[in-house]
Amino acid sequence: MKDLLIPSVATILATRDETPDTRTFALRFRDDEEHRSFSFRPGQFVELSVFGAGEAPFCLASSPTRPEHIEVTVRRCGVVTNALHALGPGDEVGLRGPCGNGFDVEAAQGWDLLFVAGGIGLPPLRGLIWNVLDQRSRFGHITILYGARTPADLVYKDELRVWSAMDGVEVKVTVDRGAPGWEGNVGMVPVLFDQVELRPERTVAYVCGPPVMIKFVVQDLLMRKFAPERVISTLERMMQCGVGKCNHCCVGHRYLCRDGPVFSFAEIREMWE
Amino acid sequence: MIAATRAEPDGRWVLPKENAGAWVERLLEGAQVIAPVAGPEGEEVYDVVRTPHQVLWDFVNPLDPPKRFVLPQTEPLARIEKTDGRFRVEPIHDEAPRVFLNLRNCDLQGFHFLRRMHAADLPDPSFLRRFDSLTLVSLACTRPCPWGFCICCEGGPFLREGYDLQLTDLGGVFLAEVGSAKGRKALEAGQGLFRPATEAEQVRRLELEQQALRSFGPETCHFGSAMRRISTRRVADELWEAMGPWCLECGGCNLACPTCYCFSVKDRSEEPWRGNAGGEGSAEQVWTRCRIWDSCQYQAFTLEASGHNPREAKRERIKRRFYHKVSAQYYRKDQALGCVGCGRCILVCMGTTDMPSVVAAIRKGRWEGGRL
Ligand SMILES: Cc1cc2nc3c(=O)[nH]c(=O)nc-3n(C[C@H](O)[C@H](O)[C@H](O)COP(=O)(O)OP(=O)(O)OC[C@H]3O[C@@H](n4cnc5c(N)ncnc54)[C@H](O)[C@@H]3O)c2cc1C
Ligand code: SF4
Ligand code: FES
Repeated sequence: MKDLLIPSVATILATRDETPDTRTFALRFRDDEEHRSFSFRPGQFVELSVFGAGEAPFCLASSPTRPEHIEVTVRRCGVVTNALHALGPGDEVGLRGPCGNGFDVEAAQGWDLLFVAGGIGLPPLRGLIWNVLDQRSRFGHITILYGARTPADLVYKDELRVWSAMDGVEVKVTVDRGAPGWEGNVGMVPVLFDQVELRPERTVAYVCGPPVMIKFVVQDLLMRKFAPERVISTLERMMQCGVGKCNHCCVGHRYLCRDGPVFSFAEIREMWE
Repeated sequence: MIAATRAEPDGRWVLPKENAGAWVERLLEGAQVIAPVAGPEGEEVYDVVRTPHQVLWDFVNPLDPPKRFVLPQTEPLARIEKTDGRFRVEPIHDEAPRVFLNLRNCDLQGFHFLRRMHAADLPDPSFLRRFDSLTLVSLACTRPCPWGFCICCEGGPFLREGYDLQLTDLGGVFLAEVGSAKGRKALEAGQGLFRPATEAEQVRRLELEQQALRSFGPETCHFGSAMRRISTRRVADELWEAMGPWCLECGGCNLACPTCYCFSVKDRSEEPWRGNAGGEGSAEQVWTRCRIWDSCQYQAFTLEASGHNPREAKRERIKRRFYHKVSAQYYRKDQALGCVGCGRCILVCMGTTDMPSVVAAIRKGRWEGGRL
């Protein structure tokens, strides 16, 4: 039996700067066999170690349909994330996972999909977006709404362009505060709701972002008659083990690292502690 | 008579007290022996035994719980070596055979609580390996400790199962009940030292149990009504709020509790030259990945990198502790209460937010500032 808390060594293949403090890392397990056998769902996460600095959870930002490497997008904010940002191609880190439940892609088959992301909330959805785009015919219309504080805080700028050029995919972007050269929307994410046609009765909505943004967006969606079972979000708590043992991530008797981090709003409503 | 127990097939044995030392000697030949011994100040502590005469056979249950022998306070999980920019991660396993002697039954139940949670859902092989290499010999409590309330939570004073061997002090001899193959082995190690128990000795064992049940101190803990209220959100926020100032956030209750196991994972830097003296291929840098006890009563326990903290208020943290230990939701998940009634938190807590006080407050709907 494999040890629960022991990471395997992985190599950083490439990095890409997304914003001044956010970077995407492409990773591959050093052992080919291990890399090939690593299977995951979008919405799951990994525990990533910078040896000596420690371990932290990051969601898998790539799609299982593109298995050559695994991607995580990391904002620099503390010990582990700073140490990770100091590493580059060829450097080694530790990986453990996948952890958590992930999105139920099968259940969304045949539905229209609405993605609503705020700031660093796009990475967990990006894996799912590529996943559905890679099996395009199985899903209905796709709408992607994305907001960040300023134009400089938008991640995956190239991919936003690629997605918006695709058939049957609608992409809208907004920023809280504009900047010189910015000609797009200004305002919080919900302003985008009035720019697209929403079809609550045939849509599954995925909402990811900072807690306040999730709160407002979900309220808005429910008011617009989206069913709570079909408003899906990810929750965050401080995590250590990622495998349901350490108790850091509990909400009541639910373990976000095992029962989550993906929940429908119908489930979130029932959670208390 | 309630004579039929699971120990029956193996019969019951007695160890005359003058043979106890010789038995420990035999156990020491095949395993590390852990038992209550006298600490530096004369206080009782659990420790590794070097010679049989260290073992205490009549003692107050140590304040420091024995859980560190199954879940070390700082547990090395893996050795991480860096050489020429490449890493090697070597898991550290501990499956040394150990005999735990004179464990109190509340603590034995605590051990099983820890084993169940480590075996549930995603099993933790590193914990299970260490645990399953242990032989558990309990010493039933013929004289319950004054602050114990194991009787309220199936924690003791005598048990029907769960032990490998359960000893009862009958005066001149220890009666031994075998609960498992491991227990049988420990008994066999003492071949020639044990003899079959007489009918009278078996009757005496039952009398002592009845006597123990009658001699509990005043400490009681009515879990039933507290569980009902906690599980149905019928404990007022004001009640938790009132307890807040009484909790000093020291985490002592978690450290002392035989069922608490919250932890964090950290890398400890090791001096690279230690055990790597020179030569080719020696590591430039070495760390040990450790699992370290943590406490849900610390503010930083749930502090997120964003600065947001869902349990910033003390009220929320106290509530969390008792939800985990007493709610029906967790009872279903863990198949047991998260309290074995050892009474340690009563002794440890300087602010009196211990288990019986809080359970009483929930039942009465009123916090009176605990015991003074
Ligand atoms: C399921 C899940 C998925 C996640 N996915 C992602 C993801 O995809 N991308 C992502 O970027 N994040 C993600 N996170 C958040 C990420 O795990 C945290 O950002 C990360 O754990 C921070 O670790 P750290 O060691 O860098 O921060 P820590 O060192 O633990 O820092 C914690 C806090 O302390 C502060 N701090 C740290 N050092 C100092 C200092 N020297 N002085 C003052 N203050 C300091 C920080 O500002 C921060 O507020 C996810 C979290 C979860 C639970
Ligand atoms: S809650 Fe208190 S009495 Fe109960 S097992 Fe823990 S330390 Fe002992
Ligand atoms: S992160 Fe350890 S229990 Fe969820």
